[in-house]
Amino acid sequence: MSQQLPEVLASVFREIPNLVFEEQTARRLRVKLRPDALPALLELLKGRAGYLHLSAISCVDWPDTDEFELVYHLWSYEVKTLVSAHIYIPKKPGRYVSVYDIFTPAAFFERDIHEMFGVYFEGSPDMEPFILTEWFGPPPMLKSFSSLDYVEETFKWEQYSPDWLKEIEANGGGIVE
Amino acid sequence: MRPENYQPVEHPASHEYELYFGPNHPGIEGNYALKVRLTGDEIVGIKADGGYLHRGFEKIMEDRLWIQNVALVPRICVPDPPPMEETYARAVEMIGGLEVPERAQWIRAMILEMSRICGHLFIVGGTAATIGQYSNMFWGITDRDYLLDLFEALTGARIYHMFITPGGVRRDIPDGFLDKLSHILDYLEARLPEYDDLFFNNPVFHKRAEGIGVITQEQALAWGVTGPNLRACGLALDVRRDDPYLIYDQLAFDIPTETSGDVLARTMVRRSELIESIKILRQIVQRLPQIKGPIRCDLPNPLAWNLPEGDAYARTEAQKGELAFYAVSTGGSKPWRVHVRGPSSMHAVQVLEKLCLGGRIEDIALIMFSLDACPPEVDR
Repeated sequence: MSQQLPEVLASVFREIPNLVFEEQTARRLRVKLRPDALPALLELLKGRAGYLHLSAISCVDWPDTDEFELVYHLWSYEVKTLVSAHIYIPKKPGRYVSVYDIFTPAAFFERDIHEMFGVYFEGSPDMEPFILTEWFGPPPMLKSFSSLDYVEETFKWEQYSPDWLKEIEANGGGIVE
Repeated sequence: MRPENYQPVEHPASHEYELYFGPNHPGIEGNYALKVRLTGDEIVGIKADGGYLHRGFEKIMEDRLWIQNVALVPRICVPDPPPMEETYARAVEMIGGLEVPERAQWIRAMILEMSRICGHLFIVGGTAATIGQYSNMFWGITDRDYLLDLFEALTGARIYHMFITPGGVRRDIPDGFLDKLSHILDYLEARLPEYDDLFFNNPVFHKRAEGIGVITQEQALAWGVTGPNLRACGLALDVRRDDPYLIYDQLAFDIPTETSGDVLARTMVRRSELIESIKILRQIVQRLPQIKGPIRCDLPNPLAWNLPEGDAYARTEAQKGELAFYAVSTGGSKPWRVHVRGPSSMHAVQVLEKLCLGGRIEDIALIMFSLDACPPEVDR
């Protein structure tokens, strides 16, 4: 596999200790590395391989191992390959460093992950809620938060029986479960 | 306005005042707000405030079967839903290793390009409306409706088609559909000179839009700008060309660019893209009848369909820019996680704030529409 890897990427990957990569499909590289090495990888990719575009940062909750997976999707307009860098951080304390100083778009994704998952990014310019400004519950994208349970606890079921329905039901019709 | 949420703890200097621009404002796209600080009519501070259209799609999708989400995804973006369906379907196909039959790929590309024309007509009209040229908006909406009629004939729905499913498309094109499409393309082409006279070559618009909301190439790359907004800065970058999907590598089309990076350049790029999309659709109309075969690959019972373990990042060139879905499967019947990266998550928040700063209040709406910022994609 490594024969097909562009030399510029191979040289970057050699610099990072304990880095594992696999080619998922053409133009998709999946990279797994230790959390403390991620900023260095991003710097190298940006500086050496032309990875100027941070496409997204995704967060995945893994309750079994009590970890968050952070995935940094980077695209190079020159190498034309997407690198998805996967790191795992412990849920407690759930803190990680911001990469805003390397990629400006990170600010939006970090703010989003903070309010949806509760991961705090040190050094991110704005960690205030953006979407959930009137929400005081737990971060809703956590697997431990069930939206159905929340609805059952917060709202009451109401008996719906208007007069017109009573008439229909008297004749043997109505809502059939 | 949100009185329960708004507490002015800091009193601005006496020459400054604060203004809530939106969420109910004719100059804002969708339900979205900008908290603007002004002195006179000059913007000295601006903060985007989203969340008015948050429907929790990513959370809901985790509770639905893979196939059920097909009905959910197009609702993320109202003016341009098919790329959402396409990107979700492609993420599922990448995880499941599904091969889309060739005929389905051509039909999908046709739908995507039709949707691109719809979206551009919509937003170019919107841009004109922000500077008071309402006729162009009415024209755009009317001409878009002809394409919506075609969508209705093809899929049964006008806006949310739910037509592109993992593995292919729902049904084949109806008889005589391609003739109707050619007819509409002829009509749109004939209309374009009229749009030019009314709007694109209008000196009032040129005077109003030149030099407003300028993005340089360096800024565009640093801020994560994609799509027509990036091409308006002179960079011919397009997911269809750089990271080709479906049959886009078999189609001949140009990537139009402009150099000045302002509101005028962004609008002119959209005008050129209308022509390119018509060009692509003509090629599809010509080629599609020769491509025979199934329109969907064999799927297991979709209600008892477990995708293998894995993850995938699918990217599409939507009408507004780069759209991406990150889907994670743990081998179950439902997605473990789906992350939607809408192009507007950049354009409507950071880029809009930076462009408006130092500008004037009457330019906010113009800049927002020229960026084609779509709040439903930001809130999700």
